[in-house]
Amino acid sequence: MRYVIAGYVFVLFVLALYSVQLVWRRRRLAQAVNRAAGPGVVTSSTVPAGAVTSNSAGEVVA
Amino acid sequence: MTDDPSTTALTDVSGLAPMAHQAAAPVTNRGVNPVPGQSSRSKLVERSIGTVALVGTVATVWLGIWVTPPDMIQGDLVRLVYIHPGVAWVALYLAFGLAAVSSLLYLWPRTRSLFWDRLAAAAVEVGVVFNVCTLVSGSIWGKPTWGVWWAWDARLTLTAVLLVLFLGYLALRRIPAEPEVRARRSAFVALFAAIDIPLVHFSVNWWNTLHQGATVLNPGLKLKIHGSMALTLLLGFVALTLAFVWMLLVRYRIGVLEDWLTANELDLALVERQSEGGGPVDEGTAGIGAMDELSTDGVAVA
Repeated sequence: MRYVIAGYVFVLFVLALYSVQLVWRRRRLAQAVNRAAGPGVVTSSTVPAGAVTSNSAGEVVA
Repeated sequence: MTDDPSTTALTDVSGLAPMAHQAAAPVTNRGVNPVPGQSSRSKLVERSIGTVALVGTVATVWLGIWVTPPDMIQGDLVRLVYIHPGVAWVALYLAFGLAAVSSLLYLWPRTRSLFWDRLAAAAVEVGVVFNVCTLVSGSIWGKPTWGVWWAWDARLTLTAVLLVLFLGYLALRRIPAEPEVRARRSAFVALFAAIDIPLVHFSVNWWNTLHQGATVLNPGLKLKIHGSMALTLLLGFVALTLAFVWMLLVRYRIGVLEDWLTANELDLALVERQSEGGGPVDEGTAGIGAMDELSTDGVAVA
């Protein structure tokens, strides 16, 4: 049974650790983006429809 | 209004917006491109997937260790079947398969978009984590059943080769390059590495190996497991698939934010200089001519 427990513990530990790392990385990057963008942040989702749109390449175009 | 950019959606804009659009946007962030934002619906979807994945994984562990019966031959060791094939399914078929398809779509001229490149990169990174879990959990299972931690068996070796190939893919992406150049060469490497996926799958049929044949995805698609054991196995597959989707969404979002920061590095530095100097930066003093005419990939368009 100890092999079974070892297998479960390893897989769950690695997946949990990676998930935490992902969330931490995303939060850190989001903070960096917000800091860089400064006050009055305009996000792509807040730009009114028609003002900008995205093309097939996923780029924002006028 | 400030949207929290720390959430995810694959439909989000890339953040690699060309400078030309800035004049059209009503307000920009002090002269840089809009921060790639996120709708509350996407946040809800992401959180729901994460929650269901977590509950499903906990239920799989509970059923796998405490509820399902031991096997007649393998005894309690069979309980590893509820987790080992699940992580292998995610790594080999979902993650690396998705990376291959995304890379192909990037290389295809009609569907070429950095979206596919970013999706492939996210899938590979998550897939590498699941691949490590596959190899280690398989090794832990191998020791009491085969008597060794590792054997140079066809399936084991090809799975290890797959891991090395995709680690190479991730290393290649870290070499500084223009986004398009990086995307193109990464796509070729992903497609090359993906040749190993069918080899891993059919290795147990083509060669005489230590590894057992497929329990579910066998040639006749005949389920070789029944009752509560089959149900737990299925639940494990679903839970780990959802965990993969959640990780993919978060990792994709990280790629969007990283690309935004990279693409706007120059603009942000310029804005910083402007705020320090209290006025527009003279091109001569900035040391970079025609800076306003630089596109996000750093190519002068003036």
